[in-house]
Amino acid sequence: MSEKANAERLEAGDPRLIVRWAQRYAKSRTISFLVQWFFIVAMVSVIALAASLTNAAYLAGRHGVFAVSIIAMGITILALAWFSVSRWGGELIARITQWLYGREGYVAYLEEGGDFATPWWLTGLGGGLVIYHLLGALVVSFDYSLIRYMQPYSALYMVPFLLTMILYQGLGFWAWIWPLLYGLHAILVLADAPIRLSGQWEMMNMIVPVFGYGLVAILTGHAYSRFALWKLKRLARSGLDSNTSKTDGADDEGTGT
Amino acid sequence: MSGLDRTIHEPARLRILTILSGLDMADFSFLLTTLGLTKGNLSSHMDKLEKSGFVTVNKSFNGRIPHTEFRITEDGRNSLARYWGEIDAIRSLNVNPEP
Repeated sequence: MSEKANAERLEAGDPRLIVRWAQRYAKSRTISFLVQWFFIVAMVSVIALAASLTNAAYLAGRHGVFAVSIIAMGITILALAWFSVSRWGGELIARITQWLYGREGYVAYLEEGGDFATPWWLTGLGGGLVIYHLLGALVVSFDYSLIRYMQPYSALYMVPFLLTMILYQGLGFWAWIWPLLYGLHAILVLADAPIRLSGQWEMMNMIVPVFGYGLVAILTGHAYSRFALWKLKRLARSGLDSNTSKTDGADDEGTGT
Repeated sequence: MSGLDRTIHEPARLRILTILSGLDMADFSFLLTTLGLTKGNLSSHMDKLEKSGFVTVNKSFNGRIPHTEFRITEDGRNSLARYWGEIDAIRSLNVNPEP
């Protein structure tokens, strides 16, 4: 009988349930995703600001401001690309994540048969995501399609892409919220549901589904990780009386850290 | 009872090994806060588990702060599974005593 099937018939309070809650906790630790989310949103906001400044400067005929904002936009796009793929970016996120988790400590969960190395096909899918959306933006820019169909067009790639990432990384249930809401949003847009913003808020029709639903998923995961940790602590500490913490004649100044 | 592995049978070490069996890796701080043990006590248990070959230890530094990570070994995983098999066998004897 597999470990999972075996865990199904365990009685409440059985120490073997620790395995289940340890895995649920590890799969729901979303602070690293939240840190990445903040970095990406900050950079995209700077790019959007530079883009609107570029547009305003062009319309006003202010060539100096136009040139500066074009350079700022280019630098930010390059910084975003570099941050996304560089080792430095990954290490910075890891350091901030560890600092935020603080005394809670660090755990890693690895799906059975999983591997830490990113396979070539996954990198290809990520590159395809960028190219696909650039093509979509071009199609809309040249009036071959209405901007209202940009989000459903995006969902055709984003939803299977996110599902692939979730299955590959073995993430918890919280991660499924993002593609689910993103796909549902696309269906509602196609069904002419009154969920679209117009006028100066037009861009929010893309920004809210991409970043908003992502944030909802991340925060749900974080909330669940608090519950899983509480359950894990209760199970792990039950049966450990004060005598247990005094066994082996150990002092309080451990050398393990 | 005599067949049970004494290293694993100790409640704190049983819980440490069980936590590690569900994860790829956990660090000292995580085990400390989860189990509510003292630093010295946890160090002592980890030393025993390492000497028995049930866990591997990886010590490094995050800047100037020492960082210790633990992983369960294949031997540790097998021994834990064997231990629970023996516990289940003992329990079934108690539930269905021979006439």
